[in-house]
Parts: sequence; structure tokens; C-alpha cells
Amino acid sequence: MKWLVIFLVSIIVFLTSNICAQDVLKKQFAYAKNLYSNEDYYDAITELKRLLFFDTGCHYTFEAYMLMGKSYKMGGKFSDAILNYTDAELNAKTIQQIYQAKIEIIRTNILRRTTDRALQLLGELEKDKRFAHKANEINYWRGWDFMFADKWDDASKSFSKIDSCKQLKYLAEKVHKDKYSEVFSNLISHFIPGTGQIYTGNYFSGFLSLGWNILWGYVTVNSFAANRIFDGLVELNLLWLRFYNGNIQNAQNFAKEKNLVITNKALNYLQFKYDGLKP
Amino acid sequence: MKLFLCFFILLSTIIFAQTDWQKWGKANYSYALKDNFKKRELSFDAKNPGRFVLKSLLDSYWFFISDVDGDNCAFSPTCSNFFLQSVSKTNLVQGTLMFFDRFTRDMDFIAKIDFYPRVPDGHFYDPISLYTLNKNEINYIPPSVVVNNE
Amino acid sequence: MKKTIFLILCYSSILIAQSVDKQKEVNLFSPSNIKKFADYLFCSHDYLRAALEYQRYLSTNHNDTVSYKIAIANSKIGNYSKAAKLFTSIDHKSHFFSDAQLEYYKALFQDEDYFELRNDIINADSSNQFLHSPRAKKLFYFSYLFTNDSLPSENQFLSPFDGTDFQRVKDFYNWKEAPPYKSSLVAGILAAIIPGLGKFYVKEYSDGVFAFLATAALGYLSYTDFKAGHDIRGWVFGGVAAGFYAGNIYGSIAAAQIYNVKIQFDFVNSLKIFLNAQDFFIPEIKFCR
Repeated sequence: MKWLVIFLVSIIVFLTSNICAQDVLKKQFAYAKNLYSNEDYYDAITELKRLLFFDTGCHYTFEAYMLMGKSYKMGGKFSDAILNYTDAELNAKTIQQIYQAKIEIIRTNILRRTTDRALQLLGELEKDKRFAHKANEINYWRGWDFMFADKWDDASKSFSKIDSCKQLKYLAEKVHKDKYSEVFSNLISHFIPGTGQIYTGNYFSGFLSLGWNILWGYVTVNSFAANRIFDGLVELNLLWLRFYNGNIQNAQNFAKEKNLVITNKALNYLQFKYDGLKP
Repeated sequence: MKLFLCFFILLSTIIFAQTDWQKWGKANYSYALKDNFKKRELSFDAKNPGRFVLKSLLDSYWFFISDVDGDNCAFSPTCSNFFLQSVSKTNLVQGTLMFFDRFTRDMDFIAKIDFYPRVPDGHFYDPISLYTLNKNEINYIPPSVVVNNE
Repeated sequence: MKKTIFLILCYSSILIAQSVDKQKEVNLFSPSNIKKFADYLFCSHDYLRAALEYQRYLSTNHNDTVSYKIAIANSKIGNYSKAAKLFTSIDHKSHFFSDAQLEYYKALFQDEDYFELRNDIINADSSNQFLHSPRAKKLFYFSYLFTNDSLPSENQFLSPFDGTDFQRVKDFYNWKEAPPYKSSLVAGILAAIIPGLGKFYVKEYSDGVFAFLATAALGYLSYTDFKAGHDIRGWVFGGVAAGFYAGNIYGSIAAAQIYNVKIQFDFVNSLKIFLNAQDFFIPEIKFCR
């Protein structure tokens, strides 16, 4: 009887002290979360580091690393964010937590524009049988990855695999359709100078280019026809070819410039007006 | 292997700790891609008659010739911009001398890599401050550096 | 029964006392825990956070090790002027005093405050044993290599150096005493004699060749045009040739100036590489093993 009472008292006191310790850690985590919500990310990380240092029982390791990753991400420090998400993944206790950390790493890679790495990680995730039921989510982030990689056609294909993602599918399709073909622009300006610029809507530049090419072409041909070979060579190299090459360069640059405007318009919409999940 | 892994973890901890050596806050990052296309500054400059004539001539050159004959100058600022800046900073005579020297250096296709740093779009950075003959204005930048001259 | 109750009371009081102790221990913001956490941050190279935690600790406690570590942390993150101030605040009775003195001079050196460094050393109490140490002397003399002040005599300058460093430091001294600068005047005169020669003088050989070719070719075109009676073309080509000729003289003068700045830059750079390779700025005391 005596020993039973002693044993019970010991258990109660031991549990009480442990609960006290956990309570302190819980408060510390709440404090860090509060700093995070107040956008005080640097201090939030300090408090999370403190939590990790004293949390010898690893009760909050996963959560703390995840929040540290988020804080670094909000500060634009993507490499640090990925490092912390990786630590969270290593300390995950459930499959759901592993998935959560992996997805955060992918989202940060998309945002950092290391889109090839994100694509590779998404492929690995897709092959992993533990996450077979997450196909929709994987395709969703793959779509985002393609949008950030400026591959709108691929993005539209990824979104088309998800029933509830029509909005992003149409957006990606529209951007793909609206974009100018740099190859076509380049090609036609090889055959008729100025047409590449005209194709991209830069009419004045296109006709000016055509004009210069006709002028210097005429002058060059005239020189050769009059047997002034040296003059012809100089005019060909320094004048005609200069404007001919310039026309090709311009055609491609105009297409790139216009495409950038179209892409950025879509990306700005995604950043500021789109309501769904973002990287 | 273990030793290598330990070393790698230690190194990454040190490198990543350095990002926190200064307090930072929320970043304003944008989804949009960076626009590196240069826009010409075509405008009338009426500060004085000389500058008006010069700027108008250069504007015409840029509009009718330079913008349609491709990217032919390896430097940043371009030779025409260098001329305009030189004349604005010094005077017509000194600016013209600076331009002729720049033109000679532009013709030299051999040694640019060894002498000039680059700007992000790949052009060689060669500002007028190096050539005004004012020693205090010379800020030497080694060729291995990429200069952000925006 | 009484005995049992007595025993239970004794045992539970011990456990409760331990539990109270444990609760104290889990106060993450107790001074001892703040210090433990700061030590951990310091050894993880998270110096700014470590300094802030140490400062928090110092608000309730006095500890010269902690004060010294705050200064070291500031020095590590490049806040040299703040570090210098903190090193001077270390009490002369402290165990860290002499190290703090050296670190103070190092911080001034890294802050490129060479004048203050030399002034402090010259005006310091001669009884200060630290000033007679080779490290302080090295810093003192090295500082002359970074400024335009007149150098001490060679023997005096080289006195703290020995071994493999000696020759290298001697080379630095000799460079500083007679820098291999190029004369702008000579560059200009050479360019006036033969276009491009000024650029050769400042080792810009291909620029020199192109300057020569441009001037010579346009000059020749001008000559042939005048000879053939094409006066207008002659004047145009002649004018452009004159422009290249004069521009090359101007450019050679500018190139000599740039050359001098470049070799000065290379000299300072190699000096800094030498100092870093010597582990010159690594603190003497190692806190993290």
C-alpha cells in the first residue's frame, strides 16, 4: 500500500512537471506565430529557433521548421526557406506532414523560378504511391510551374486534367494563343525585310526597315552593275547587310517584347486578382 | 561520405546564417518577369541651343537609323549615348575627343573581354566617368564583375 | 502508519521541489536560458541574433565574456565601428582586456579608419605592453600601405615581420614606395608621335593597333582624294583622320590614368588577400569547439 501511494505521487508530480514544460513550448510557438502574423518575420524566426533549442522532446520540430520556412519565404529568402522546409520534411511524423513539406518546397521553387527543380520534385511526388490520391494537387502545381516557366501551352494541358480548374486552363490557353511566334517573326523577316516588325504590330519600324533595305539594296546592286566592285562590297557590308541583319534582330526582339507584355499581364492577374491557391 | 555530409551541413548552416546578419522584413516580390528591353529617351532638350541641336540630331539618328539597323555597339552606354553624355558632362571639344577614342576602342574586337566588366544584357560597361581626365571620378571595376547599371 | 505518512510527505516534497526547479528551467527567458540560447546562436554563426540575445542577458546581469562576445559578433557581421566602440568598453581588469585591445585595432583596420588606428597607437601609454606586441606593430605598419601618407623607413617597417612573410611584405613596401605608375604626359607624347603608341605604353596593345589603322587608313584616303582632285572627300576623310588622331592622344592620357587606378586597385586587392590568408582578422579566442 505504502509503495503504491509513493508510486502514484511520483507519477502525478512527473506528469505535472512535463505538462508545465510542454505548456511553455506551446506558449512559445503561439508567440512565434503571433510575430509571423504581424509580419515580423525576422523575430518570428528568432523565437522559433529558441523553441527548437529548448524543445528537447521534439514536440514542435516539424511545425517550427515549417513556420521558419514560411517566414523566410515571406522575406524573399527562398533558399533559406527551402532549407527549413527540408528540415521539416526530415522531422515529419506523418505521411501528410511529409507531403505538406514537399509541396512547400515545390511552391518555393516555383516562386524562385527554379522551375525545372520544381518539375522534377513534382515528378517524384507523382511516382510515390503514398501520394497517389494527390494527383489533382500535383497537376495544379505543375500547371503553376509551367506558367512561371513561360510554357503556357503545357500549363493549360496540366490544368485540363483537373475538373475544378477551368479558370486557369482558359487563362493559360488564352496567353498561349495571344503570344507571337518568335520563330515565325524571325523567318518572315529573312524573306521580306520589315514583315517581322509588321507582324508584331510595329508598322512604322517595319516599313522604315523595308525602305532602308530597298535603298541600300538598289545602291549596292547598282555599284556591282557598274563594275564598281569595291564600292559594292563596302555598301553591301556596311549598309545593306547592316540594315538587313538589324531587321531580323528587331523582328525577334519585338516579338519577345510583346510576348513579355502578354505574359506579365497574366502573371500580374494571377498575383493580384486570382483567388485560388498561389505558390 | 558521412564526413562529407557533416561538412556540407555545417557549411550550409554558416552560409545560410549570413542571410540573417542584417535584420530584414517582408519582401515585395513580383510574379512578373523582368523587362530588360531598353527604351529610348526621345525628347526635346531645350536647356541651351547647342544641346537642343545635338539632342535633336541624335534623336533623329536613333529613330531613323539606330533603331532599325540592329545592335551594333558592344558597349553600354552605346557610342551615340556616350557622345551625348560626354558633351553634356564636359564640352563639345572634349566630348568629341572622348567619342573618337571610344569609337577606336569599339573597333577593337580583340581585347574587350580582358578590359571591361559587363552589364546584365552582355554589353561591356564603359561609362564616361573613366575618361573625363578627373582622377577622382575613375572607379575601376575589374572585368570579372557584372555591373548593374540601372 | 505515521511513519508511512511521514515518508510520503518527505518524498513528495522532494519531487515537488524538483518540479518547481524544472518549471524554472523551462522559463525560456530566464537569464541563464537566454545566455544558453545566445551561445548556441553565436556558435551557429547567427551573430546578429546572438548579439541581440546577449544584450538582453546583459540588461539583468554583468558578464565581461558576454560583452566581449557581443563585440566579436558585431565585428563578424561587418559592423566594425560599433565593434570598435564595444571593444573599448571592455574593462581593463577583465580577463579579455588585452584581446579586446587587439580586436579593437583590428576593427579600426577593417573599418579602414587607418588614421584613428595610428593615432591611437602613437598616443597610447607607452607602458601598455600590448603595443609592443608584434601583432599591434604589424597592424600599425600595414595601415601605411593603404594610405598615401609617407612611409616609415624600410628597416622600421619590416621589423615585426619574419619568416616567409618577410619577402612578401618587403615586396609590398617596395611597390608602395615606388609604384610602377605610367605617366599621362608620356602616353600623350607617344600618341602624338605615332598614333596608337600611347596605348602600347599603357599595355592596351590591340587598342593601339586599331587607333593606328584607323588614323592611317583615313589619312591615306584623304591623301589619295586630294591627289585625285576630290577635295571635298579629301577634307571629310582628313577631318575624320584628324579626329581619330586627336582622340587617340586624349584617349592615351585617359588610359594612363585608368592604368594607374587599376594597378593601385590590384595592389590593395592583393594586400587584402594576403591579410586574409594570414588569418589576420580571426579572433584569438575560440569560444566554439
